[in-house]
Amino acid sequence: MKNPIAKAQTYKSKKEEDLLKHMVSTSKSYKIWVAFLLIVILFGIYAYYRQIRYGLIVTAMRDYTSWGIYISNFVFYVAISLVGSLFSCILKLNKNKWADPLARISEIIAVAAIACATVIIIVDMGRPERLVYVFKYLRIQSPIIWDVIIINTYLSISLLLLYVSLLPDIALCRDRLTEIPKWKKRMYRFWSINWVNHPKQFSMLKKASRILALLVLPIAFAIHTITSWLFATTWRPGWDSTNLGPYFVSGAFMAGAGVIIVAMYIIRKQLKLHDYITNAHFDNMGKLLVLLSLVYLYFNINEYLGPSFKMVGVEGEHINELFIGKYAPMYWFVQLGGLVIPILLMFFKMFRKPLPIFIISLFVVIGAWLKRYLIVIPSLQHPYLPIQDVDESYLHYVPTWEEWAITCASFASMLFIITILIKLFPVIPVNEKDTQTEPGTN
Amino acid sequence: MKAEKKLNNNFIFFLCLCSCLFLQASKIHAQEVKSKAELTLSFSEDKDTKTITAFAIDEEGVPIEELDIYFYVKRTFSLLPFGDRFNTTDENGEVSVVFPNDLPGDTAGKVTIVVKIMESDIYDDLTMEIDKNWGLMTEADKADEERSLWAAAANAPLTLVFTTSTMILVTWVIYWYIIVILFKISKIKP
Repeated sequence: MKNPIAKAQTYKSKKEEDLLKHMVSTSKSYKIWVAFLLIVILFGIYAYYRQIRYGLIVTAMRDYTSWGIYISNFVFYVAISLVGSLFSCILKLNKNKWADPLARISEIIAVAAIACATVIIIVDMGRPERLVYVFKYLRIQSPIIWDVIIINTYLSISLLLLYVSLLPDIALCRDRLTEIPKWKKRMYRFWSINWVNHPKQFSMLKKASRILALLVLPIAFAIHTITSWLFATTWRPGWDSTNLGPYFVSGAFMAGAGVIIVAMYIIRKQLKLHDYITNAHFDNMGKLLVLLSLVYLYFNINEYLGPSFKMVGVEGEHINELFIGKYAPMYWFVQLGGLVIPILLMFFKMFRKPLPIFIISLFVVIGAWLKRYLIVIPSLQHPYLPIQDVDESYLHYVPTWEEWAITCASFASMLFIITILIKLFPVIPVNEKDTQTEPGTN
Repeated sequence: MKAEKKLNNNFIFFLCLCSCLFLQASKIHAQEVKSKAELTLSFSEDKDTKTITAFAIDEEGVPIEELDIYFYVKRTFSLLPFGDRFNTTDENGEVSVVFPNDLPGDTAGKVTIVVKIMESDIYDDLTMEIDKNWGLMTEADKADEERSLWAAAANAPLTLVFTTSTMILVTWVIYWYIIVILFKISKIKP
């Protein structure tokens, strides 16, 4: 049965109806999903209250493992935020027209991920009220300051990219969605900034879009390279490597592509967009993911082969811990289940169909998160300069429930932002021909 | 009769208790009240040896015998003791210690010598500080004042400041340019 509110709008084509109808009707499952996310977020806020109240002692972080699961999350969010540049720059400038419908999803994920990265790094601070000192006593020699600057820069460009691509569609929502609450009407009117489908407006928007597309790639490379430098400039086994920048960037593109495939599958299924996100999209994304995974595999071999061949001192202990020690199950799951096996499977067309590649991408994404855990934690447990008679609790790191609750809340926040943005704006460009190629009217 | 005897015993016990408490309180009071001592320092140096002599007298000007005096040199984070483990005044109230010849001072060789009376049963704590040019002259470490990666924020390398500032400026100018384009878009009439 068709939703009467959805039918009451003034659509002018089937495409408009297909791509806008989810914005005017709210299903029960959507409400349950939002409520679930809010509960998880509230629980995380309670855990964070405890962390503020009692200090970082409620976490498992101690003198050795001073960067815990929060920093793993931070690196993961920064990584998947790079997917925005993959679609908005690399695929767009190379005229991969097939990827145009997926650009909006990638931009939404980029905004949500980088927003969560910004928040989780503050959560990691024992005294968050001192954040202002970072800017007040800004010391440009510190890689942490470079990271603070580049995160804000990338967040800004991600918001601009999303807005520039959304602008004609916001105006479309303003014009077509007539039977909606007043606040929504006001919002579309405000954000459509008097867009009237004038050819000159299209031409100017295209210019802005091109400039941003050119600018986003160096910024995207910079954000994850600088994040890798936070580690590479700290003298710890596993981080003392010149390979770390490209290793992080290639891993980020792979994780981002995996997240896009997962998002594509869920959005296509939930919003019934089978005509717009087709099997061909999954096939192409599968090929892209294979390519990105192979590049990442190459950097992985570079990262581990040298130290494991030499097995020098603490570096050797660190490698042993990963290969055959207590982190071995996680390490081999990540390398085999999240990298090698997905590559092998995705070589075959049958595994690039929607459901198989969705499952494979889930493994890639889980592997990507665990990989960040493996990059951060085991290295910290093998300092080059150990403490004498060290407290037993420094030698192990198992996140506390507060850390897990905050982690889950941060993931829920990212999903919440994505859910809300998808609910408020078309997830696939409705008048993509006009904005991407040539001026025209819709 | 028996009850009266018991009462007397209790009274005697109470008096004894009060007397003990009174004596104890007097003793505590007596311990807390200490005399003031005065220290006079004299410095002498010949070719190889630098000597400090401390002369201690009480409030009536009588030399204090067997008083421990502590000698230190002020360093960056704490006081460095010198002299013997215990430096006790003689019957003239004097004690002499030799100042080490190898202690670094500032660029002029200046060091701050600290002399203390501490934890004496009879005399109050006393601290005296005096600057002497008895240290080795040192070159000032100007590493922190030079522009380097490890210097303070104000001394960041100029190339780094220039490069990062340019990159940030160019990027944000472009952002503002995009916002200007959006503003112009909003002004276009149908």
